[in-house]
Amino acid sequence: MNCSITARIGAAAFLGASLLALTAAEAAKLTVWCWDPNFNVAIMKEAGDRYAKTHPDFKLDIVDFAKIDVEQKLQTGLASGVADGMPDIVLIEDYGAQKYLQSFPGAFAPLSDKVDYKGFAPYKVQLATLDGKVYSMPFDSGVTGFYYRKDYLAAAGYKPEDVQNLTWDKYLEIGKAIEAKTGKKMLALDPNDAGYVRIIMQSAGSWYFDKDGNANITGNAGLKAALDVEAKIMKANIYKPVAGWNNWVGAFTSGDVASVFTGVWITGTVKSQADQAGKWGVAPLPKLDLPGAVAASNLGGSSWYVLSASKAKDEAIDFLNDVYAKDIDFYQKILVERGAVGSLLAARTGTAYSSNDAFFGGEPIWQNFSKWLSEVPSVNYGVFTNEVDSAIAANLPSLGKGASVDDVLKAVDAQVKTQIQ
Amino acid sequence: MNPLRLLRATVVYGFLSVMAFLSVFPFLWMAVGATNATADIIKGKVGFGDALATNVGSFFAQVHVGLVFWNSAKIAILSTVFTLAVSSLAGYGFEIFRSPAKERLYRAILLTLMVPFAALMIPLFMMMGKAGLINTHLAVLLPTIGSAFIIFYFRQSTKAFPHELRDAARVDGLKEWQIFLLIYVPVMRSTYAAAFIIVFMTAWNSYLWPLIVLQSNEMKTITLVVSSLASAYYPDFGVVMVGATLATLPTLIVFFAMQRQFVEGMLGSVK
Amino acid sequence: MTSVSSGAQRKRFDVNGWLFVGPALVLIATFMIVPILHSLWMSFQQGRGMNLTFGGFANFAKLWNDPLFLTALTNTSVFFVVQVPIMLALALVMAALLNDPNLRCRGLFRTAIFLPCVTSLVAYSVLFKSMFVTDGIVNSTLMTVGLIGEPIPWMTDPFWFKVMVIVAITWRWTGYNMIFYLAAMQNIDRSIYEAARIDGVPTAARFAFLTVPMLKPVILFTIVTSTIGTLQLFDEVANLSSGAAAGGAAGPSNAALTLSLYIYNLTFRFMPSFGYAALVSYVIVFLVAVLSFLQFYVARERD
Repeated sequence: MNCSITARIGAAAFLGASLLALTAAEAAKLTVWCWDPNFNVAIMKEAGDRYAKTHPDFKLDIVDFAKIDVEQKLQTGLASGVADGMPDIVLIEDYGAQKYLQSFPGAFAPLSDKVDYKGFAPYKVQLATLDGKVYSMPFDSGVTGFYYRKDYLAAAGYKPEDVQNLTWDKYLEIGKAIEAKTGKKMLALDPNDAGYVRIIMQSAGSWYFDKDGNANITGNAGLKAALDVEAKIMKANIYKPVAGWNNWVGAFTSGDVASVFTGVWITGTVKSQADQAGKWGVAPLPKLDLPGAVAASNLGGSSWYVLSASKAKDEAIDFLNDVYAKDIDFYQKILVERGAVGSLLAARTGTAYSSNDAFFGGEPIWQNFSKWLSEVPSVNYGVFTNEVDSAIAANLPSLGKGASVDDVLKAVDAQVKTQIQ
Repeated sequence: MNPLRLLRATVVYGFLSVMAFLSVFPFLWMAVGATNATADIIKGKVGFGDALATNVGSFFAQVHVGLVFWNSAKIAILSTVFTLAVSSLAGYGFEIFRSPAKERLYRAILLTLMVPFAALMIPLFMMMGKAGLINTHLAVLLPTIGSAFIIFYFRQSTKAFPHELRDAARVDGLKEWQIFLLIYVPVMRSTYAAAFIIVFMTAWNSYLWPLIVLQSNEMKTITLVVSSLASAYYPDFGVVMVGATLATLPTLIVFFAMQRQFVEGMLGSVK
Repeated sequence: MTSVSSGAQRKRFDVNGWLFVGPALVLIATFMIVPILHSLWMSFQQGRGMNLTFGGFANFAKLWNDPLFLTALTNTSVFFVVQVPIMLALALVMAALLNDPNLRCRGLFRTAIFLPCVTSLVAYSVLFKSMFVTDGIVNSTLMTVGLIGEPIPWMTDPFWFKVMVIVAITWRWTGYNMIFYLAAMQNIDRSIYEAARIDGVPTAARFAFLTVPMLKPVILFTIVTSTIGTLQLFDEVANLSSGAAAGGAAGPSNAALTLSLYIYNLTFRFMPSFGYAALVSYVIVFLVAVLSFLQFYVARERD
């Protein structure tokens, strides 16, 4: 019996020792947090390899979590003031930029002394500017385009030229014609996601907030027009209802719907269906009939930020500047390999951007996207985009059931008011 | 068999079979998913596919399988062992060595079950930061060890521990810790087995807290890895299904290995 | 309990008692009580991110006027009122059926029905989302069987989304509760049933008037734990409603916005307002406390 007691005590001691071993720390390098292994993770790795050619000691440790998890970890770390374990560089989605810059003052390092921002798309620089300083290294753009099936369009009696200068009314008309002739819906729509509203609203140069960051809901012509388009699409029943990303992607890659308007990052997904080569075209976004509205907008996109608490802050900034603000060849490579459209306007002079795409019937799609990129209106994403967006999304189903746009705006306004005190 | 009994048997077996099928079906669905290419999964394909090797291959190419399983196993096993040790001591202590002060503390402990974890994340994280434990497995473990639910479970089970055994041991001159280690623990084997299953599953599957305190790739658990695979811009669902299946296997194995004791252990807790 | 006679024995008894409960007390005080008090303090603070100031009862005023809080409270109540009774009734019935010693394949049924609670949350949410899409396996099966003519919009309609969440939670936790009932039933003396059976009491009546009353402590236990679980419902709704791009609602028309999910959003997705989030979590504590008290009270009264 004593023997077994000894054994038990021994086991306990062993466990205690292994517990101590758990606290051992690991070596330091330049740490980056981002979220998509096939996209920004892979691209950051490429950037690191390029920089390492001229800086042999340079080491990058890229840690990937889900996007929402990166935000959550960043927020927990900043809120608790624990610099320990925080990365040197972090990727932040553009919609959230001001929220982080304003609620955690001093947490991020301004880059405007080192980086020449004149080369980037203006709206990308604007969204990361606070009190005259720019904090981000602009990364991928979500410049939008209207992707459509040429074969369905032809079946309905339209030619590609007919969709180059679309208005939303004409868009609805084509949608109805396509359904009548082919039985296919025009687009897939997730009534739980306000992405389309954001796209159309930004094309009019509007956002949920005015230039000073105050909520601008009931008197917002751009937002109203966007909801109006969404309501008309729902009323005309030219959409296939979907839920979630997966389902949405499935709708247009399987040929269930005739078109999709969204950010340029979808190009790779569209092209993944090799058997549909030559059947797709990309046109500019349909245009709103409002003063100042353009046929270009944005959905999503993200930028790199350097944390001020980083021990290797200068090195991190130098690295980002060297690759992301100067290396045209880098942008060609990530375009070809990852389908990433950066925000550096000069990138369009490279070979990859100049080539025509056979999948899209030889259209110069990258030149087109670069042109639209420079036209995207700058808006103030403010600090409460997620709050308002969630309120809009929550009210889309009632819009589909016939509620008037004004009533929806009022409901959203009421919900948002308490949220953003 | 008379018609009425036949009817009754049909209803009973039919109902249980349907329930059992519904319970197991998602597991089959997951296994089917692991054999299909992503494009087929998105299109809602039902049958087995031929992409299993590809999916497994790219899962192993993307993930340090050995490392993440080792991390998960280390956290789950240590968490289980320490939780069982600390919480069974406490459950036993509260039941055997009663006093008014302890009763009040016991009730306070049960009250902590009502506080949602969401409320504690930020304070806990700050605490771990001050202690310099961010990005350590110790930080994942520590808050799980003193488990109010498991203390409650052991206290309930201790009510069924025969007094005669304790009294006899005392007469024999055993010290209290000897009574606990040499008599209580072996007698309550199946209680420990049931608790083991519950704690192990919770620890293996835990997501939110490890996500917050673990910062580097070397520290991640399998649950975190599967979640980040599932939320890429273009998730490879075939690979996600492989990951989900592999992540579920250890809990299934633990459950099947210990299920007999599990049911016996549950018996003790509800007397 | 053990009788204690002399003072020395009493002392030994006390010292031993504290040694046994000591480690757990220290850990719980450090990792539960301290954070709880900290967050209680935070619930009186206001502001964005790190810029917190003492706001007194300002958060209470905000709570009172917050339509999203009301939505979250309503949804949580619906899940509680609908899901908990369905799940526990189902668990009780299945436990009673499985308790029949003459039933064949008992072990197989028991294992199969318990199995869902071993799955990891991540696996489970990916699975349910893929099964419940409009042209997914659930709708196609229901249509083949002829139960429905049109596909059900599980993921896009607020009502059906709630139904799906309830199905998902019930799937995962019914077997878990069933095991508690089954274990308790196996402790009931068989002779009581035999006597009732010989007296000609029908099966249903034996269940209602013998089994259920004798299981009362376990039923109370499962009701209380399910109440806590449902009022803190987070994992399922968060994962089933995620997948949309930035922003987005918690399910169609916020159908799946529960109090815990709202706390999470206030902490991580929206402008971080930790103080307000902490206050909402104390609303949950308050509700659980009241409901548990009521449940104990109702149970006690009939004794």
